[in-house]
Amino acid sequence: MAVLSTRLSRWSLPMFVCALVNFLAAQGLMLAGMSWPTQPVSAPGTLAAVHLLVIGWLLLLMFGALFQFVPVITSRPLVSQSMALAALIALEIGLLGMVGGFFGIGTGSRALAMALPAGGAAVYLGVLIACWNIGVPLLRSRPLSLPGRMVLTGLAFLLLTVTLGLAFALALAVPALAPYLAPLLGGVGEHALAGLGGWFTLTAMGVSYKLLPMFMLAPEDRGITGDGVHILATVGFALAIGAGLARVWSAAEPLAVAQSSGYAAIALAVGIYLWDVVRIYRTRKRAVIELHNKAAVAAFGLLGLGTAVAIGFVMAGHLGAGAPVIVFLIVFGWLGGLGLTQLYKIVPFLTWLHRYGRSLGRGAVPRVQELVHERRSYPWFALYFLGVLLGATSVLSGHAAGLRPCVVLVTVATFGIVVEYWRAWRAHYVPLRPSEPAAPLLRPNQRG
Amino acid sequence: MVAERSLDRESVLDALHEVIDPELGYNIVDLGLIYALEVAAGVIRITMTMTTPGCPAQDYIMSGVYERSKSVPGINDVQIKLVWLPAWSPRLMTPAAKAHFGIQV
Repeated sequence: MAVLSTRLSRWSLPMFVCALVNFLAAQGLMLAGMSWPTQPVSAPGTLAAVHLLVIGWLLLLMFGALFQFVPVITSRPLVSQSMALAALIALEIGLLGMVGGFFGIGTGSRALAMALPAGGAAVYLGVLIACWNIGVPLLRSRPLSLPGRMVLTGLAFLLLTVTLGLAFALALAVPALAPYLAPLLGGVGEHALAGLGGWFTLTAMGVSYKLLPMFMLAPEDRGITGDGVHILATVGFALAIGAGLARVWSAAEPLAVAQSSGYAAIALAVGIYLWDVVRIYRTRKRAVIELHNKAAVAAFGLLGLGTAVAIGFVMAGHLGAGAPVIVFLIVFGWLGGLGLTQLYKIVPFLTWLHRYGRSLGRGAVPRVQELVHERRSYPWFALYFLGVLLGATSVLSGHAAGLRPCVVLVTVATFGIVVEYWRAWRAHYVPLRPSEPAAPLLRPNQRG
Repeated sequence: MVAERSLDRESVLDALHEVIDPELGYNIVDLGLIYALEVAAGVIRITMTMTTPGCPAQDYIMSGVYERSKSVPGINDVQIKLVWLPAWSPRLMTPAAKAHFGIQV
């Protein structure tokens, strides 16, 4: 086994593999007609697909990326590599339990239904382990950069999300607890907002504030706009979620005002963020950018579209009715799209470090970009985003059934992109070189 | 003696042109990652940086610098000092590297 640098996250690639399998599995449920749009949004198959998407795909993807990214922004190592593996195991086992539990509730099987809170508890444990592993280097880093602060805020929303989720699981699966916890089920929207907004979106924004300038050689300092996005989004999500949860028990008017103010702050934060992203692209020093940055433009566009659609439904007073298509745009378009495009850089980069890092200085090595074939990959990304856009358009125009053929496009495209990741990992586009004999790696300021 | 030292320094810099930053795909000398390089009595002292602190490729790039420098004839020892100040920026690239990335000189 090759000796790897301690700066390399050992479990990120396995996490990405699991994440992609879960993503395709969720798409499979949608194509098989076991989930929305064929089934109601509260159907067991829909709940299973949603959690395959947010825990199985997006959460594993985000943790895999953060295990590699947090040491970069803090210049501090993770607490331990083993904790990353423990988190992966707990999250995967927990997810399987939850998916089984959702179908158990649907079939009336008490025993299978209990897998929901059991799986939820395992997911909770996995999240705690991962938060500890990432949170400690973030908390110890002084001064903490804007991306680090945004990730840390995101982790707080993640803990809120999983706490609410575990309470829901207990309310659904344990009748004895239902009288106490059932009212909380009125806060499903806030659970989704905390997860997709406070956690995933805020964290993705923070990570992008580091990676976009780094890869495109643009100025990193975001100044007042970066801080503005962070503060507005944090306050906005906190207000909208807090007031929304309080409204489960109280119909007081000030709560509705607070919730609306929260939505407005979120929309403003997204608007400033997207303007900032445009500035990063415009001020980049790298004239020719790589495919992962080109394709990410579509993900940013779908964040804007998802937010605009949400504003429209809020103003019409029908946010609940628009929730499925908003979630689809955010999960598949913004977060999923950004994830797939950034993996197109991360996978070859990690592959290069694994395969060629130790040959550097001893002979010719390929560039990271030589591990991918952008012209072959470009159509898959175009097809993916086209499928998402057509699907959302179909639902918005009142033809929810039209989403299913669009998901076919999305699935075919996802599969095509995964094949390109696999080719990068196998060094398909460059001749394989024999691995060098192991030798110790140098550490900073070490005498040779 | 002075000419010999200068020749050694150029030999090492030539050799280091073969070490690339894997992400940018360009050699570390023209990227401006080598801040100082002294050669004396067969010993090389290199002061260098990375494009970003905490770079995952840092250990590999440093080992690459060590291995390639050590392979230059007449070099007995290589000492590498990694620094973060002044912070690297694209301004430190050579005109050739700037032209490669399409950066306005």
